[in-house]
Amino acid sequence: MDWEFAGKAALITGAGRGLGLAMARALVAKGCRVALNDKSEPHLGAALAELGERAVSAAADLSSIEGPALCVDRALAGLGHLDIVINNAAINIENTIAETTDALWDLHLAINLRAPHLVVARAFPALRQSRGVVLNVASELGLHAIPNNVAYVSAKHGLVALTRALAIELAEHGIRVNALCPGTMDTELMQECAAASGSPEEYYAAFNEYHPLGRIASPEEVASFAITLVSPLTAFMTGSSIAFDGGSTAGRVWKAV
Amino acid sequence: MPKRILITGSTRGIGRATAEYLAAQGAEVILHGRNREDVEAAVARLEIAPTLVRGITADLSSRTDIARLAESAGEIDVLINCAGIYEEQAVEKLDAGSWARTMDVNLSAPWLLSRLLLDGLKRRQGLIINVASDAGFLGVAGGGTYCASKGALIGLTKALAIELAPEVRALCICPGPVATDMMAQSVAAAQDQEAAFAQWTNYAPLRRTAVPREVASLIAYAASQDAAFATGSVWLMDGGLTAGKRF
Repeated sequence: MDWEFAGKAALITGAGRGLGLAMARALVAKGCRVALNDKSEPHLGAALAELGERAVSAAADLSSIEGPALCVDRALAGLGHLDIVINNAAINIENTIAETTDALWDLHLAINLRAPHLVVARAFPALRQSRGVVLNVASELGLHAIPNNVAYVSAKHGLVALTRALAIELAEHGIRVNALCPGTMDTELMQECAAASGSPEEYYAAFNEYHPLGRIASPEEVASFAITLVSPLTAFMTGSSIAFDGGSTAGRVWKAV
Repeated sequence: MPKRILITGSTRGIGRATAEYLAAQGAEVILHGRNREDVEAAVARLEIAPTLVRGITADLSSRTDIARLAESAGEIDVLINCAGIYEEQAVEKLDAGSWARTMDVNLSAPWLLSRLLLDGLKRRQGLIINVASDAGFLGVAGGGTYCASKGALIGLTKALAIELAPEVRALCICPGPVATDMMAQSVAAAQDQEAAFAQWTNYAPLRRTAVPREVASLIAYAASQDAAFATGSVWLMDGGLTAGKRF
């Protein structure tokens, strides 16, 4: 269904690799033009080179107050208009409650919660013109908690609530806002963490077991679902937060012993 | 020995009603407010033995003040994060200062106080109660910043509960429309005050606003031994607001 995104323009943050890049690839394959943001210059450069003339840079530091507006301005300068905004960039630095410093807390709130808010605020006139759509990539940890992620869990719950508030306020302008709550994905970041853990097999096994389906997701399968959330297929959906998590927020697996 | 309880934002509204309720039950309460005169007045009007009450003035948007508040409070059994602010902020009329203030007071202050008071809470098998809002569940047009802060406060409660169990418990209370000074101010600020008042009255299916004491009684129950198996829970008391809509 190439018609879905032909002539459309999308901004995707955190698009240098992982889910962000997978979404960019999926949209470009369906005729969309994309503006990409990533904090890593090498990752962003490689993604732009791969996607070619349909991709432009929206480089900016999303952890700063000014960065999100700059990101939107660069996207608009490169694309001319905006139909789709995907707030995907996030950080997750695991720490116990006692070890979560002020700086770490603030950084999670800045990138994972404030930046999506500032991006949408800046993109509002363009989205009003296009009757556009916003997708906030939250997390299953926007719906429940695990230990050692206090700042991340708080910020992602905030993002789920922000999604509803934006959806209610922007509905009259025809702008939809939804949140996607994925479980763990087999991204480069995951592979790096596994390698750093010293025993990659055990690391993967723990994450596989955590999800009732017994595995983690590929970024591509999450991306293919994500782009339906910014397509006309979901034109009546707004303010929703959708778990795509292998069942991890649905309940507990009770193993026979 | 009476339980020692710190209640932020307790010079008015739900916080003050909670302090009154808990004081009547024999707790030792530490009141908090932003303004010294308000704190002194709140301490003075509480009908309680002078040894069981004191007040601390602190601006929760200041991290220095938060650190001082935690130090002055000392070791406590129950932390009740009740202080909150609401600032109308339309998406297109972005005000970075308003976002920062709201996040600081509604979210970062509860987090910082929880962390700073953690050792004492662990020693006393203590409890953290965060007062969020129906706005943690429902979007409010013009209230995006407030919604984001309250939704995040619900997440913070769950994260604290999961990580700190079994020593320390954490609960979240989500009131709906409550007739507080905060509500009165929003009515006073409206162009048509009668319509604004009616809007609040008819907002929830029960077609009235709650009085602060109703919420205080739920918080007092949460703080009691009867609720000792509850942790990570999010308790709504919202007159049916988030259950659905009348049609």
